Amino acid sequence: MIILKVRDLYKKFNHQYVLKGINLDIYKGEVLSIIGSSGSGKTTLLRCLNLLENPNKGKIIYHKVDLVNSKIDINRHRMSIGMVFQQFNLFDHLSVMDNLILAPKKLFNKKKNILIREAMEKLTSIGMFEFKDRKVSNLSGGQKQRVAIARALMMNPDMILFDEPTSSLDPEMVGEVHGVIKSLSNTGITMVIVTHEMMFAKSISDRVAFMDKGKIIEIQDAKSLFDFPKEVRTKEFLKRFDNQITF
Amino acid sequence: MIILSSLPNKDAFFETIIYLISTYYNYFLMGIVYTLILSIVGTIGGFLISSVFTLVRTQEIDYIRQSRIKNTILRFLHSLIDIYINIFRGTPMMVQAMIFYYGLSRLQLDFWTPMVAGIFVVTLNTTAYLAEILRSGINGISKGQLEASRSLGFSHNQGMIYVVLPQAIRNSLPAITNEFIINLKDTSVLSVIGVTELFRATQLATAPNYRTTEGFFIAAMLYLLLTFFSSRIVNYIEKKLKSDVVKVAS
Repeated sequence: MIILKVRDLYKKFNHQYVLKGINLDIYKGEVLSIIGSSGSGKTTLLRCLNLLENPNKGKIIYHKVDLVNSKIDINRHRMSIGMVFQQFNLFDHLSVMDNLILAPKKLFNKKKNILIREAMEKLTSIGMFEFKDRKVSNLSGGQKQRVAIARALMMNPDMILFDEPTSSLDPEMVGEVHGVIKSLSNTGITMVIVTHEMMFAKSISDRVAFMDKGKIIEIQDAKSLFDFPKEVRTKEFLKRFDNQITF
Repeated sequence: MIILSSLPNKDAFFETIIYLISTYYNYFLMGIVYTLILSIVGTIGGFLISSVFTLVRTQEIDYIRQSRIKNTILRFLHSLIDIYINIFRGTPMMVQAMIFYYGLSRLQLDFWTPMVAGIFVVTLNTTAYLAEILRSGINGISKGQLEASRSLGFSHNQGMIYVVLPQAIRNSLPAITNEFIINLKDTSVLSVIGVTELFRATQLATAPNYRTTEGFFIAAMLYLLLTFFSSRIVNYIEKKLKSDVVKVAS
């Protein structure tokens, strides 16, 4: 079942098109990774999916409505599309616990004690329970990103968008975040991941899309794309990661 | 305390001071109370109005998702606020006081006393300065904070109120409280419209005896005490707020 459909999507910044006619179907429960070199438009595409960037043209059909349509209430739809950022973007003035419960408390009017219980479960599952009362500024990058994932999960989203979740982490912290994302992939939640980590993309994804110059060049199941890429540009791109992918 | 019933000699500085204090203490007390009221109400009022201004100023003009009418209204409000800030920061508070007090006096409103006009002018003036302080406070908050809140489903205003403004205000607290200290001293210009704040009260106390130096020496000491203790109290509140702002959102 298709959960989100992108049709003929264009986005330009300063008269330059960054996305040039993207068509993409995202299936419910799948893990889709988007790879490609810097400037290929993959992050812009991801940010268009929850309208953090307004596309100039095209459709994004989600739950039978076109998100690009300016008449719809985008805030309501964003509640069910979580997002995890490269720079974590945790709310710096709040504790770990308050980061988790702020949005569901204000948006769903849920009782605080129920939310605290939910948050404790989430924090336990990512191994951050003992940090619940810490200020987020005192956490390491890896811990911050795990909390950011938990914060997105508190809204019980249908899908989560990951924008290079480990790109700003020290190498030794990448593993812990990958571990959390991996464990999520088994829960049936739909995930779209923009990443530069080919090995991770290969191991976690159901499908992988390769983007170049604002277009999706190739989209296949993970093994096929990495082992038998069809397009020349995909081959050229993957060549650079040869030592990383063979495992 | 020695009560001096008659005016001491001209060269008797300290005796004159004691004389002025013991004779006119109620003037000085009234001056302190008025100065405090003007500064406190003016700063708090200015803070509240400037917060609303800031919220309006951060509304984005969006040609894709917003109606033309909303964009036009926003543009109009943005320039109105800019003009307001420029006018109030670009003219002396003394001049503003004269214009507002005498200007609105023509309407012969019963409540339009010098004190009410004074509070009005201090509030408007503080609003202009705090709006700029809050704006730079918001500029200092990473864009990702609002984006993260929008991605969770908050509207622009909710994101501003729950996430961005608490941080911007926390970071601007020293500048905001500084504005209060400035107000304590600058309300002295309201003497021109006859508000009996500390400066005017001192003028009144020295008018019958021409002991201006001694009188204003007392005023200076009182201003110093006011600013000294206020900054102490304000520092304490600042510290408390810093930890409380963290809890406000939850």
